Amino acid sequence: MKKKLFSIIFLLSIFLMFTTMIALADINWRQFEGVEIRLLMNKHPFTTFIEPKIPEFEENTGIKVIMEVFPEDQFRDKRLIELNAGGKVDGYMIMPGQAKLHYWKAGWLAPLEGYMTDPDLTNIQEWDLGDFFAGPMKGARIEGHQIGVVINAEASLLSYRKDLFEQFNVKVPETMAELEETAKFFHKKVVDGKEMIGITLRGKDAAATSQFVDFLYSFGGSWTDEKGNANIASPESIEAFKFYGKLLREYGPKGPTMYHWAESTSTFMDGTAAMIFDANVFKSLYENPKESKVVGKVGYATVPAGSAGRLPHVSNWSLAVSGTATPECQKATWLFVQWATNKENELGALLSGVPAGRESAWTDPKFVSTDNTPDWTASSLQSFAIGQPQWNPPVLNVSEIRDIVGKVIVDSIEGKDVADSAKKAAELMNKTMEK
Amino acid sequence: MKKLKETIINFLDNHISIAFPAPAMITLFIVVIFPIIYNIYMSFSKWKIGLGSPKFIGLQNYIDAFSDPRFWNGLKVMFLFSGLSLSLEIVLGLLIAVYFNKEFKGSNFIQTIYIFPFAATPVAIALIWRIMLNPQIGVLNYFLSLFGLPGSLWISDARTVIISLVLVDVWKWTPMITLIVLAGLKSLPKDPYEAAIIDGANAFHVFSYITLPLIRPVLITALTLRSLDNLKEFDIIYTITQGGPGIASETLYLYSYKTAFSFFKAGYGSTLIIIVFLLVLLFNVALNKIRYRTEVL
Repeated sequence: MKKKLFSIIFLLSIFLMFTTMIALADINWRQFEGVEIRLLMNKHPFTTFIEPKIPEFEENTGIKVIMEVFPEDQFRDKRLIELNAGGKVDGYMIMPGQAKLHYWKAGWLAPLEGYMTDPDLTNIQEWDLGDFFAGPMKGARIEGHQIGVVINAEASLLSYRKDLFEQFNVKVPETMAELEETAKFFHKKVVDGKEMIGITLRGKDAAATSQFVDFLYSFGGSWTDEKGNANIASPESIEAFKFYGKLLREYGPKGPTMYHWAESTSTFMDGTAAMIFDANVFKSLYENPKESKVVGKVGYATVPAGSAGRLPHVSNWSLAVSGTATPECQKATWLFVQWATNKENELGALLSGVPAGRESAWTDPKFVSTDNTPDWTASSLQSFAIGQPQWNPPVLNVSEIRDIVGKVIVDSIEGKDVADSAKKAAELMNKTMEK
Repeated sequence: MKKLKETIINFLDNHISIAFPAPAMITLFIVVIFPIIYNIYMSFSKWKIGLGSPKFIGLQNYIDAFSDPRFWNGLKVMFLFSGLSLSLEIVLGLLIAVYFNKEFKGSNFIQTIYIFPFAATPVAIALIWRIMLNPQIGVLNYFLSLFGLPGSLWISDARTVIISLVLVDVWKWTPMITLIVLAGLKSLPKDPYEAAIIDGANAFHVFSYITLPLIRPVLITALTLRSLDNLKEFDIIYTITQGGPGIASETLYLYSYKTAFSFFKAGYGSTLIIIVFLLVLLFNVALNKIRYRTEVL
C-alpha cells in the first residue's frame, strides 16, 4: 500500500515537473536573474492572494521581488509621491479609470503591447491575451497603448435579501421604477422586531460617484457631451441625480450623506437594509460569517434598467509597469505581471473571492463546482459583458471633478434644488476640467 | 595634520557663538525653514504634481483664493470650529483643574482616568467616534433613546457636524488644558488665599479676584499651545468626516491638503497653506502680546 502511494506521488511530481517545464518552455524565465524589482500594491484581496506566492516566482526566475503594501488612501498618496520623486518603483497597481490619463501624461506608465507580442518575453500562447475580459482590458488602454493587465474586474450589483423577497413575495426589480417601488415597500417595514431600510447606497460626495454613474448612464445622462463639455446638467443627468437622491432621502439610512462603502455595507450586513447597490467585490463581506448577519440570504442582480436601458459601469484594478524604471527592470517587472496574471493565478484569485479578469477562470470546473452564489457569477459576467469602461469623468483631474459632481449628489439627497446645483457644478466642471 | 587640527580648534574657539548652535541651525534649516521658503515660492506658481515643472504666476493663486467660495467656507469652518472648541476647552479645563486642585479621596485615581483621552492616538479615537456618531448604527443615538430623546444626525447633517466635531475635540483635549492649569494652580502662593478668607471672601470672590488673575498667564500659555494644534486640526476632522457632508466641515487646512494631494494642484495648495500659516502666526502674536501685558501688569 505504502509502495503504491509512493509511486503515485512520484509519478505525480514527475508529471507536475513536466507540465511546469512545458509551460515555461518557450521563454527564458531566468533571463533577468539577479535583478531586483520593487512593487507598490494596494491592500486588496488580490494582493493578499498573490503575496504568499512570490517565493515561487523568485525561485523560477531568480528575480528578487520587494512588494510594499499600503491601505488604499495611503497607497494612492505614496504611489504619487514616489513616482514624482523618481525613486525606485518598477511596478504598481492602478485603477486605470481613475489615474491613467494623469499617469500616462506624466510618463509613469510603460506601454506593454511591445512586451505582450515579444516571443522572447511572453509565453504568448500560454498567457493568452484574448482570455481577458474585453471591457476592462479596454479600460486599461490609452491612446492605443495597453498600460496595464487586469487583475480584478469590478461592476456594481444590486444585492438584495432573497429571504425577505421570498417571504413577502416581492420580485427582483428589473427597472428603476420597480427599484423605487421595492425600496418603498420595505422601508420602515418591521421584520423580526427590526425596522427595515428600503435601500442603502453611498451618499458621501465624491465616493458616491462610483455607484451613481450606473444611474447616470441608465437614465441616459453622461459626464460630458460629444464636444467634451460637462453634461451633468442635461435633463437626463438631472433626472438621475434626483432619482438617486430621492432613493437615499426617502428610503435610505439615516444620515446618508456620510455613507461611504464601509458604512453602506455595514448597514446591509447588519441585516437592517433590504437592498444595497455597490461593488460586486463586497460579496466576500456579505458572505463572511465572522462579519455578516446575512450570510446565505443574499441574492444578486445587475443594475435595473432606466429610460436608456441597463448600463452598468465596469472598472478594474490592473498591474502596471512603471515608466520611470530602467529598461531591464521594466522587462523583469513584465515577467512578474505576466506570471501574476496567468491562468492559474487568476483562477486562484477568483477562488479566493477576487472577481478575476480572465474569462477562463470563471468557466473553470474548479470554480463552477464550488460556486454557491451562481446569481452573483451570472450578474457579474453580464455586467462585464455590457459594462461601460468609462466610469469616471474622462479628464485628467478625475478626483477634482468627482468632488464637484459629488456635491450635486449631496444636494440632491438633502432635497435641495438639483437643477440649480447641477448647473453650477457643470459651470465649475467646465472651468476646471483638464484634458 | 597637527596644524590643521590647531586651525580648526582656533576657529571654533573664536566662533563659539556660531559653531555650537550650527548643527541645530542646519537641521532646523533643512526640516523647517527650507520647506517654508519652498512653500512660499510654490504659492506663487502653478504646478500639477507630475506634469512639467512649476510655472511662476505671481499673485494669481492669492487672487484666485479670494474669489474661491470654498476658500471662504474653509475660513468660516476653521474659525467656527476653533472658536468653539478652544473656548470650551479653556473654560472646562480651568474649572476641572480648580476641582482637582482640592485634595479628595481617590483624586489621583480619577485624574489618571481623566487624562486617558489626551494620551490616546488621535486617529484611533477618531475612528471610534466616527462609529459612535453614526446616526444609524452609532451608540450615541441609542443612549439618547434610552432617555426617550430623539436621535441626532450628528456628523451626517451640515447643521450639527461642527458641533459634533467640537465635542470630540473637547473630549480629547480638555485634559491637556487641565494638566497645565493644575500645575499652575499648585504653584500659586497660599498667602493671598489666607488673607482673603480672613477678610471674609466667599469661594466665588476667591476664584474671581485671586485665582483667575494669578492663573491668567498660565491660561494664555495653555491657549497658545492648544491653538497651535487646533487651528490646523487635521487628524480628527479628516478621519471622522473628511470635510463632509459636502464641505460643511472642511477647514482651510483640510482644503489645502485636498487641493495638493487629491487634486494634485501643488501651487494652489501651497497658497492655501501659507494663508493658514499666516493666520496661526497672527493669532499667536496677538496672544503673546496679551500675555506680555498680563505679566507686566
